[in-house]
Amino acid sequence: MTRRPDATLVVGSLLAGIPLLAALVGPLVAPQTPPGTTPLLPPGTEGTVLGTDVYGRDVLGLALTGGLSVVGLTVGALALAYAVGTPLGLLLAATRRRWLDTAGLRLVDVALVLPPLLVLLVLAATGRRGVLWLIVGAAFVQLPALVRLVRSAARAPGRLAVQEAQIQAGEPWWRSHLLEPARAAVGALAVDAGTRVVLVVTVLTSANFLGAGLEPTSPDWGVVIQQNGDSLFLAPETLVVPAVLVVALCAGTNLLTDRLLDRREYV
Amino acid sequence: MTGPVLSVRSLAARAGDAELVAGVDLDLHTGGVLAVVGPSGSGKSTLGLALLGEAAPGVALTGSVRVGGTELVGTAGRGRVGHLPQHPGAVLDPLRRVGAVLDEMAAVVHGADRAARSEAVGAALRAAQLPTGELSRRFPHQLSGGQQQRMALALALVTGPDVVVLDEPTTGLDADTTRALVESLAGLAESGVALVLLTHDHDVARALAHEALAVRGGQVDAQGPAAEVLDALAAPTVAEPGPETDHPRLRAQGLTVVTADGRAILDGVDLDAAAGAAVAVVGPSGAGKTTLARALAGLAVPRSGTVEVDGTVLRPDALDRTHDGRRAVQYVHQDPRATFAPRRAVLEQVARPAVRLRGLGSEAARAEAVAVLGTLGVDETTARRRPRALSGGQLQRTAVARALLARPDVIVADEATSALDADHQAGLVEVFDQVRRAHGTALVLVSHDLELVGQVAGTTVVLAAGRVVDRGPTGEVLERTAPRVAPR
Amino acid sequence: MTTTAPAPGTVDRPRTLPRRLVGRVAVAAGQLVAVSVIVFALTAALPGDTAEVVLGQQATPEQVAALRAQLGLDRPVLLRFADWVGGVLTGDPGRSLVTGVPVADELAGRLASTASVAGLALLVIVPVALAAGVTAGRRPGSVTDRVITAVATAGQAIPEFASGLVLVAVFAVTLGWLPATAGGGSFTGPAVLVLPVVVLALNQVGRLARQIRIGVVETERAEYVVHLRRLGMGERTLLLRHVLPGALPPTVQQLARVVDGLLGGVVVVEALFALPGVGAGFVEAVQGRDLPLVQGYALLFATTTVVVNLLADLVSDRLAPHREALR
Repeated sequence: MTRRPDATLVVGSLLAGIPLLAALVGPLVAPQTPPGTTPLLPPGTEGTVLGTDVYGRDVLGLALTGGLSVVGLTVGALALAYAVGTPLGLLLAATRRRWLDTAGLRLVDVALVLPPLLVLLVLAATGRRGVLWLIVGAAFVQLPALVRLVRSAARAPGRLAVQEAQIQAGEPWWRSHLLEPARAAVGALAVDAGTRVVLVVTVLTSANFLGAGLEPTSPDWGVVIQQNGDSLFLAPETLVVPAVLVVALCAGTNLLTDRLLDRREYV
Repeated sequence: MTGPVLSVRSLAARAGDAELVAGVDLDLHTGGVLAVVGPSGSGKSTLGLALLGEAAPGVALTGSVRVGGTELVGTAGRGRVGHLPQHPGAVLDPLRRVGAVLDEMAAVVHGADRAARSEAVGAALRAAQLPTGELSRRFPHQLSGGQQQRMALALALVTGPDVVVLDEPTTGLDADTTRALVESLAGLAESGVALVLLTHDHDVARALAHEALAVRGGQVDAQGPAAEVLDALAAPTVAEPGPETDHPRLRAQGLTVVTADGRAILDGVDLDAAAGAAVAVVGPSGAGKTTLARALAGLAVPRSGTVEVDGTVLRPDALDRTHDGRRAVQYVHQDPRATFAPRRAVLEQVARPAVRLRGLGSEAARAEAVAVLGTLGVDETTARRRPRALSGGQLQRTAVARALLARPDVIVADEATSALDADHQAGLVEVFDQVRRAHGTALVLVSHDLELVGQVAGTTVVLAAGRVVDRGPTGEVLERTAPRVAPR
Repeated sequence: MTTTAPAPGTVDRPRTLPRRLVGRVAVAAGQLVAVSVIVFALTAALPGDTAEVVLGQQATPEQVAALRAQLGLDRPVLLRFADWVGGVLTGDPGRSLVTGVPVADELAGRLASTASVAGLALLVIVPVALAAGVTAGRRPGSVTDRVITAVATAGQAIPEFASGLVLVAVFAVTLGWLPATAGGGSFTGPAVLVLPVVVLALNQVGRLARQIRIGVVETERAEYVVHLRRLGMGERTLLLRHVLPGALPPTVQQLARVVDGLLGGVVVVEALFALPGVGAGFVEAVQGRDLPLVQGYALLFATTTVVVNLLADLVSDRLAPHREALR
């Protein structure tokens, strides 16, 4: 084991850091074009760095403002998924009634056979669009995996012994069966969040790319790509810049999580 | 061949500063059988691997192991020495039919020669006393424990090695299977294969070995003709029974515990203990000792049978027991580290039973916890740390302290001394003695340490396959059963 | 606790396997029922009126009334559900609101295109993942392993539309080597399929390769592999007959996830490259709020997922006779 800087870690941080920075700080510094600016200006003209898109908006400005919705929706969907999935998983793990556990799992497993994108598309097709539905839909499809994860973390053989010791010490049920397992699951959940964030980003940006998400005028990276789809040859940078940002965000995050996990478990 | 097939010179194994095996010299001739005896943790298995030229990760070998003139230490001497590991079920590929794997192994020696391979497979199966034919088309999980073991033996024999190392070959086998195995091993030795037998079972060693090597703490204790070495090893001693009374404290009747798939792990077991008495539960691993202990505490829920303390019948499931019912029987877990929540100070966790079950204030409970821990040799500074900072032995004593803070009527200790050195073990026994005298607490001691059982328990119950096969005064019981239930 | 092996003859595959098979098929059937309820509930039992949702805010009352009649919206929900399920079972799940073409025909007409893209992607994915996974898994921690794992990890994470756009910008716009889209929907030669297949494979190869790598690493550590090596078995036999078979059952499960992933990917990729498959059809139906079509596509996708996972469970159960692979 050498102590030299880890290449994967450096590459991962750079890849994930740039789009994250753009998403969080970008909106404060983003250049904007006045209303009525000519659409599809080439890069470097009329005070723009990367030109304008089909609506005459500054492409650099879009890149800098469009990440906030990506990050915000992802955080929202993850928070909702954990808020619902964690107690559900804990309850299934805690129950002594096996039929309840089985029934609960079967119920959340129904979500397992619905491809994530399909859920968001069907929601959109029936007029359920916008921030709220995106978050609900993206959170819903994470539930089966989450509930199973929490349930098995709470039920891990190591946990059982702690639980038994607490029963013997006369601790109340909620402490031995809900609170203590919840504490134990925190680590597993943190690890899971690292990998799940990419899945959520993917399904959310893909839905936006397919026009099944936010308003067409949103600067969201996925929406901008969708709206500018026809100007691929005229002004490729309007599509390529947000696409590259999404690529970097996803690849970087996954590399980072994977490497950090790897350090904990293997080698 | 006139020289020895296996020749070992100053073989040693070290892990960092710790010496696991030191200075072993031995010669083994064609057809010779050497028994390596010693208690668990004495370095038998490390020595066994070292004879193959292997060591666990982080373990370094020095010295020399020569088989038929080939040096194995420091070289890849794969396949020169056959090996039968301790858990034979784990070395059979679960996804492949056993016969096919035997054939692949035979191909290592006989290559594409189909007839020679099938002859080698047949010979190996016969030597391992397995029938040829249908059995070979089974998967490992379709074989019984004894068949799995003989199949692993056949796998070691199919390449025709000159030396075979067998690690605890009779563990977990019943008397009949053991006899059959001893017969086939004797036949093997007669056919010219040299055997190294790592075992705790002196009867098996006597029956097979010409020479014996006793190890203790990694050091060679004695070496020479088998009978001499084995005779010299002392039998467990029995001490005076403790403070026993006539007041029946624990009364468990007809305890039957069944797994989800309907197998009975515990089958109608009765267990009584008078106030202040110590009852030992012994038996081979898998006999149901731990299950019995857990059933008493309500952690394993029996399908039928009752647990009664001072005339009160307790609910089968600890979760349904009242605070007083939970207090009455306290179980000290086999693996104490697992029972402590990792992120809270040990002292807090030790004090909890006194708060919850006896209604003490948290200050008073903590003070009592400090006192009890002190008598067990765990000081307050240590106890204020999280479990990770404590050693296995410290945690074992801490777990006992936690059970004592409930002030139980019955304390059930499952291998509570396995991680303790002699001094701490004596201290623990003394503390048990104290509470037995002071509070009339009954002690149920699950252990495979027969020395400890002899020192502590007045009565001993022997379990095998979920049933009581013997019970009575400890001295008499140990006399009758020591060879069968000796340490792992 | 040692697990005691059953006495010979008490466990025989022929008796237990069919029971488990029946059980697993029953679960799949239950999932199909649940999915059809969900799809119908989402698309037909709308808050407000389906007709208004379909036509939007600007629709005249006459238009709404006409559509209500066409969809039979005056009838109770349960009756409509029964009708729809009956239609699905008899191969007639309604007609498109936009074109009037029967849903079944619309779906059937698009299946070939999707099947060929997804099939080609699988043909690329499986051998590449196998080679990469085994190479990495045999030497865990080596430079080769790290590079393969890093590429697989990154590739697996990138959404198809983003990687697709970048590849199009490079190979179609800048270099001009490959067509950017399939144009007006006509199928024009194999070059059209290169980028879609690459994009799909890029995302899924990593997923499969990493599972194979883990399977190989874990099987290499298994006591039986260590023991057979100790007894002198050759590396080739060990790899082909013991390590790979050990890594296979979880890999089959993962292959099902890969097919699931391809189904999602195909929607994006077909939309991106204007391929005339079911994915693009689904997106069009969603954008046109063509509810009967949306129902049809949703059911098609969900059914495929159910069937693929059923097959994976049955196959890996078969490959690992000693343990219950079935959930």
